[in-house]
Amino acid sequence: MGYPHASHPRESAVLSKHFGDPAARTLDGWKARGGYQALEKALAMSPADIVTIVKDSGLRGRGGAGFPTGLKWSFMKPGDGRPHYLCCNADESEPGTFKDREIMRWTPHALVEGCALGAYAIGAETAYIYIRGEFTEPLAYMNAAVKEAYDAGILGANAMGTGKRVDVHVHKGAGAYICGEETALMNSLEGRRGNPRITPPFPAVSGLFGKPTTINNVETLVAAVEIVKLGAAWYKQWGRADNPKSTGTKLYSVCGNIARPGNYEVPMGFPFKDFLWDLCGGPLPGRTIKAVIPGGSSVPIMTAEEAEGALMDYEGFVAAGTMLGSGGVIVFDDAQNMVKQIARLARFYAHESCAQCTQCREGTAWTTKILERIRDGQGTATDLDTLLDIGESMTGKTICVLSDSCAVPVVSGIAKFRNEFEALLPKSRNVVSVSQAVA
Amino acid sequence: MTAPAATAAAVKMITLTIEGRPVSVPEGTSLLEAAKVAGVLVPHYCYHPGLPIAGVCRMCLVEVEKASKLAPACATPVVEGNVVHVHSPLAREARQGVLEMLLINHPLDCPICDQSGECELQDYTFQEGRADSRYQEPKRFNPVEDFGGDVLYVPNRCILCTRCVRFMEDVAEEPVLCVSERGDRATISKFAGADLTHAWAGNVVDLCPVGALLSKDFLNKARAWELDRAASVCPNCTQGCNAVLETRDNAVVRVKPRSNDAVNQFYLCDQGRLDYHWLNRPDRADQPMVRANGALSAVPWEAALAAAAGLLAGRTAHVVASPMLSNEALHLLRQLVTKTGGRGRFTVAIGPEAPLAGVQDLALRAERAANVRGAELMGFVKGADVLAGLGAGDVLVIADHDVAGLDLAALRKAAHLIVIATTLASALAHADVVLPIANMAEEEGSFTNLRGRVQRYFQAKAAPGLARPSWFVLADLASAVCGSGPTWAPAEVFRALATTTPHFAGMTWEGLGLRGALPVGGGVSA
Amino acid sequence: MSHGPSASGGALPLKGAPHDHHDVPHEPVFTGARRHDIDAILLKYPTKMAALLPALWIVQEARGWVSEGGMAEVAALLDLSPAYVKGVVSFYTMYHQHPVGKYFVQVCTTTPCNVCGAEDVVNTFLEQTRCLELGATSPDGRFTVIEVECLGACGFATPVMINSEFLESVTPDSVPDILAELA
Repeated sequence: MGYPHASHPRESAVLSKHFGDPAARTLDGWKARGGYQALEKALAMSPADIVTIVKDSGLRGRGGAGFPTGLKWSFMKPGDGRPHYLCCNADESEPGTFKDREIMRWTPHALVEGCALGAYAIGAETAYIYIRGEFTEPLAYMNAAVKEAYDAGILGANAMGTGKRVDVHVHKGAGAYICGEETALMNSLEGRRGNPRITPPFPAVSGLFGKPTTINNVETLVAAVEIVKLGAAWYKQWGRADNPKSTGTKLYSVCGNIARPGNYEVPMGFPFKDFLWDLCGGPLPGRTIKAVIPGGSSVPIMTAEEAEGALMDYEGFVAAGTMLGSGGVIVFDDAQNMVKQIARLARFYAHESCAQCTQCREGTAWTTKILERIRDGQGTATDLDTLLDIGESMTGKTICVLSDSCAVPVVSGIAKFRNEFEALLPKSRNVVSVSQAVA
Repeated sequence: MTAPAATAAAVKMITLTIEGRPVSVPEGTSLLEAAKVAGVLVPHYCYHPGLPIAGVCRMCLVEVEKASKLAPACATPVVEGNVVHVHSPLAREARQGVLEMLLINHPLDCPICDQSGECELQDYTFQEGRADSRYQEPKRFNPVEDFGGDVLYVPNRCILCTRCVRFMEDVAEEPVLCVSERGDRATISKFAGADLTHAWAGNVVDLCPVGALLSKDFLNKARAWELDRAASVCPNCTQGCNAVLETRDNAVVRVKPRSNDAVNQFYLCDQGRLDYHWLNRPDRADQPMVRANGALSAVPWEAALAAAAGLLAGRTAHVVASPMLSNEALHLLRQLVTKTGGRGRFTVAIGPEAPLAGVQDLALRAERAANVRGAELMGFVKGADVLAGLGAGDVLVIADHDVAGLDLAALRKAAHLIVIATTLASALAHADVVLPIANMAEEEGSFTNLRGRVQRYFQAKAAPGLARPSWFVLADLASAVCGSGPTWAPAEVFRALATTTPHFAGMTWEGLGLRGALPVGGGVSA
Repeated sequence: MSHGPSASGGALPLKGAPHDHHDVPHEPVFTGARRHDIDAILLKYPTKMAALLPALWIVQEARGWVSEGGMAEVAALLDLSPAYVKGVVSFYTMYHQHPVGKYFVQVCTTTPCNVCGAEDVVNTFLEQTRCLELGATSPDGRFTVIEVECLGACGFATPVMINSEFLESVTPDSVPDILAELA
């Protein structure tokens, strides 16, 4: 089913198959739709075999970084005598992204199953689902699903009667974008400020509570459920023949100035032009698309022309000069002033900076101040150069990439929409004609 | 104190090149510490060797060949064959970016900032920062806050390095500070009612690399460049923390810790920091005096020393010596005791012990005097009744010992009273001879701390009037009484000490250096 | 940058509050059912500290905001220092460090919603609730309106949270009906 729009024939609904179907939310409803078969199957397998299937499927992290999931799981060493943890990153806070919200709202048991399966695969007895505090509705559904699963003996000391212990706990965030960064998420879960940690040590060595930990996005875990159930080969049916690095389906959240906003699930390698026009209905009536951010606000902005030429997978977006990121597609039409909107994005990052690294704490705020000054017609001739220079200082030099993420829309925005910035800046002196000066 | 298990052979050494200089350091060393070994200072703010790594200021970014990004030198362990560039254009540009960011909201109030002249933000900006600022917006403003204890917080100058937070949390283990809020609204904060009153809280002022945390005691007293500095040892308890006495116009105006891993790491307690005003007392004994016609009157040194020697001839000396006196002074006093068949006694003030939890064997000790151990080694007996055994025919020698609380009648039992002191207490106004001495800030000497470590302190300011260093006065007196000949330097006294007292055997004045020495075979445990 | 009304983006301190928002006197938070709740939560984690965010949620649900007194209670409960708890509370924007109106209205104005007219939505709320400025509480004590950063429902611009209610696709035109329902 589609949600909130009707499903489009060109969609490949795997994870979103039950979106909009309230009956899928309950344990019985989920089981009637094939739920918990994958977990049952997995608990009968060795963790290593599960990891192999996921590796073979080509599944990559759907949270933004695109790290191969099976490889990530293989860093964990089940049976090393230490507690292991799985963290499910349900802090979905990247502007433009709202896919995990729908997964949790419509198929909460899919995520419970994914967490239990993932935990078992990495030798963890406990999984925490870290859900952003603003997601009150998904939190309610997830809590209900976890309770149902415990009551049914799916979770707990004797998961599905196998004698294996699998606990899944829901942890409610409290308003901090940066807690979607995996090391910040772990700090937050431990009851600390959501400050990203210096790596190494990486989470697989020393993560949550100092123990080996894997952090997976919601979409990644529910995809793993389908992969374990139906096999790696089944999952690999989706994707470009000439690009084995991106497999399966991907959920995209589409928002902004677009006719049919919402979540769409398409195979890897889908043409972005068809996606925007056929599936999402193109621009609003009487408008034209000016710019697209394809993977959440932290990836480079594309012009409409660039977007039309892109293929929707990890490599396709990189080839188009941007990134797949979290799959949050933000569309800007010709009614929008890019300076204003980029300033608003910078403001978001300034608000969310954790305050640790100098370049981020000061740079995001400074960037915002300059952009808002330009927006308000108070810019100066050197502002753009300063912005680009600050952007350089903010890139690749901090503990996490929040600072880089703030610089990305600014630098790419200036590169692609420089005319809009310059239109707001005072005309430089040498173009003032004599007659204007005299007048 | 037991030495760490010496397994030097087991430590793997890593060889790398920093700024073209090859260096070998133990595995696990950070690039920043390795650079120190190579003689290269990597600029930094949040890093401090006594604190957990934060890696947040991003000032110590260096270029490591073949690495994809600049590396924070504080948080990056050395790898065999690393080629590290601290001053390459890339690294310098990164640091210039950090400096510019740190300064955008930092007030240009160096002329009224106590940190000025010893400020790492000034230093690195001068060394490699931009000449101008491109920042055109209004600066952030937050009011000054009293953090309690001796500490003021000036948030506008704060660079959020979190050294203070980490010190209170991980070293003092009393986390009263936190980073509050986030983004550029973040400040260092405390909870209402929970102040920086921990006995070691004042260290946050030293740890602060800028002028954000200030000592109320030192506030607006002096500019850093006006100060003279002398290496010293804190006299306030038996720990023997290494310290620096900072003086201006012949007065001590600030006491700071001097690092010594074996004693106090990088720290000094608030008692040590703030209890220095007595070193500047104006009511000093500043001329030698002898009682004549019922009244004390000033005489030349030679006359006073001769008078004192005359009183001691053929009589028993009952010496009450301050445990704040140097090993050298106590050694010379011991000679008087021995020569006259007398007694040596002292008592010591007691206060609550206040450990610094995160550092092994470091505390403000209950015994509040520097040289209790030294006094004991010289045979002085510790006890509440320092006049015990004082005979009617004895000569009572009060050597700068506190007389508050002494039995005045018992004091007068002695046949004669010789006072060797920095100040003349009214209870001792009946003295027959007064020999004025320098206080510990005004002379050279050594103390023995509670673990037996012998440490030198140096002269920080001039003694008042005709007062002389204690070793000088006592050497002359001992010479007059014992006929041992003149002494020209404290090193000579120490040499005699080392030959006569097993604890000091093998030690030399020069060998003590700035870190002191333990006796052969190690110190004593508590 | 001063963003949002208070540093953490939460509500402003009340100026001349029309009704008593003082933190005292009050009953301790962690008694009875709430004590039972926190005990159950503590079982989920290997450390006490990990229960900090849940414990703060309990305080906020009980009192409407997290006062210094509330922070001290949580600190005592979890063996933390009050300053540590303050550092954590002030990091997360959803904990109110000041009392707020009966209805706490959060309007998402981040870029995806911004391009769909979210600023008009927030301005409409400000006008119709008679809150004079972002973060201020209306004279009748009923409303506090703030801008919030991305609520994660960008396809349903403009999402608005009123207390824990999550409203989708709010437009300036739908504001009067929303407010009427709260009456």
